[in-house]
Amino acid sequence: MATLEHAGSVPLDLRRADESARRLPVLAWVGGWWVAGRAIIIATAVVVHRVGPAGWIRLVSHAHALGPLGAWDARWYRMVASNGYVLIPGRQSDPAFFPLYPIMLRGGHALGFGYTTTGLVLSNVGFLGALLAFYALTRALFGESMARRASAYLAVFPFGYAFSMVYPESIVLGLIALAALAALRRRWGWAAVCAASAALARPEGLFVALPLAVLAWDQRHLLSPRARGVALGAVIAPIAAIGSFSLYLGSAIGDPMAWSQAERAWGRAFSPLGFVHAIDGFGSAFARDAWVTRDVVAVVLYLVLIAAAARAGVSWPWLLSSLAIVVLPLFSGSFDSIGRFGLLAPAAFWGLAALGRDPRVHRLIIGVSLPLLAAAIVMLPLQFP
Amino acid sequence: MRNRGSWVTLGTAAAVVAAVLGLGFIVQRTTLRAPSQATLAAIRSATWLERYRLVDSTITLDDGRVLRGRCLQDWVVQGGRRRRGAVLRLDDGYTLLAVPPHTLSATGGTAATQAMSPLVLMELAGCPRVLARRLQTLAQERRGLTLGRDTLAFSLKGTSLTLRLAPHTGAPVGVALVSPTVRGASRIRFTPVTTQLRQLLGVSSR
Repeated sequence: MATLEHAGSVPLDLRRADESARRLPVLAWVGGWWVAGRAIIIATAVVVHRVGPAGWIRLVSHAHALGPLGAWDARWYRMVASNGYVLIPGRQSDPAFFPLYPIMLRGGHALGFGYTTTGLVLSNVGFLGALLAFYALTRALFGESMARRASAYLAVFPFGYAFSMVYPESIVLGLIALAALAALRRRWGWAAVCAASAALARPEGLFVALPLAVLAWDQRHLLSPRARGVALGAVIAPIAAIGSFSLYLGSAIGDPMAWSQAERAWGRAFSPLGFVHAIDGFGSAFARDAWVTRDVVAVVLYLVLIAAAARAGVSWPWLLSSLAIVVLPLFSGSFDSIGRFGLLAPAAFWGLAALGRDPRVHRLIIGVSLPLLAAAIVMLPLQFP
Repeated sequence: MRNRGSWVTLGTAAAVVAAVLGLGFIVQRTTLRAPSQATLAAIRSATWLERYRLVDSTITLDDGRVLRGRCLQDWVVQGGRRRRGAVLRLDDGYTLLAVPPHTLSATGGTAATQAMSPLVLMELAGCPRVLARRLQTLAQERRGLTLGRDTLAFSLKGTSLTLRLAPHTGAPVGVALVSPTVRGASRIRFTPVTTQLRQLLGVSSR
């Protein structure tokens, strides 16, 4: 018996040691890029706090050394966390902000931390988790070198400063990657939890349902009837999570569609012709505020990157869900904030990683991203992300 | 057998969806604060005030004077540009034109009315936008609202206001005001806007 145990434990130990040895460089790689990106953001935010333009965020910027990272929509998330929701018809109000992130802020506050401090820790530590999950997903789909490049580019992507703000993007990206990873490993219960949580944090979380649906279909012959049911449930889970938000709003403030109504006050009313209005209205939008150019450039960039991902062989469900994340907001008639929304489109970063196979392009991507990331923080007081 | 497997699949999927729906709801219900009744009452009142742009009022001041007023929120043409503003007319001949951010002109009326703060008169006359904006801001910030039995109290630029609310609809039906210089109360009625009324109040129709 002792011999058998001994015989069994050696390969297991070896496997574990091998696994740990493999994990260490990965952690160093991903952690290193995370530190690099976040260090640039935090250092620039401190500089902006001290000497930078105060712009529209004067009060927040001066309240805290990392004040610029707690500006703009962060105020809304803090408001939901401290007071819950109310819908004020015709005025910008907080049901436009999904509940998971404010619930997490509330959790930190219950432990004695401020809302902004909790948000900064959650978003930045959450982004490290998101990078690791994204690395693991990319590695499972495309191999080691793609995973390394994609996670490095994501860590220093110029619009990625939103991952360090008191915004839910880093948490959502992590949940999307974990949902897909769990589905790939046939852990459909976890896939359901992560997909539902992603949708409860931002509406873009809904689009992970498409890759999950295709994975569930591909695995249908390998799963028991019960496991197939869990997989089907995981595909529908994001919709059910948004349904639970509607149910809650209906019970708390008497309007289940309050989140959609609140979006309208931000000028986001979805219509089939919204895309045409967005293009058509670009001239007047530019005359009002030239910053819209930034988001138009972001749309074009994301579309080019998704096209590069298609050329590199990324599967159609990921392409379609990433396209939906970038293109659907245009149907609300506005380009606003698409640079930030696109951060949740994994195919864009796979496209970038495919382009980065060429060492010169790789150096160019890193060389351009780092200064742009710092510049984005400098500009933060002047324009919302 | 295969049929049974399909039912197991569908049943399990339904259970997962129900669990997400139920757990999601419970988590939100137990962790997020629900708005107070005062906040909800303020939003209802503001919605009523925003729905109607014309308010008729009967104002009783603490010196015994009774004034009838009519306040219209509308687009006003100024210097060739359309701006949102308010026109208040009282039956003593007083007319107030308020177009943010720079225009506030009062003409006519008795010396006692002329001596009163335009803001106090607009509040007592139930000028919808002035009251609605304040209620919305306080509701959003969840502060400064006190709900009584069919009353809602709040403050606005140094004046303490109490709206009297209709019991079933929550619509504002009266205003009571206390300021350092004057006290007063009014009954207000929402009135649909007609072209004739707009012309009477001196607002050009288009």
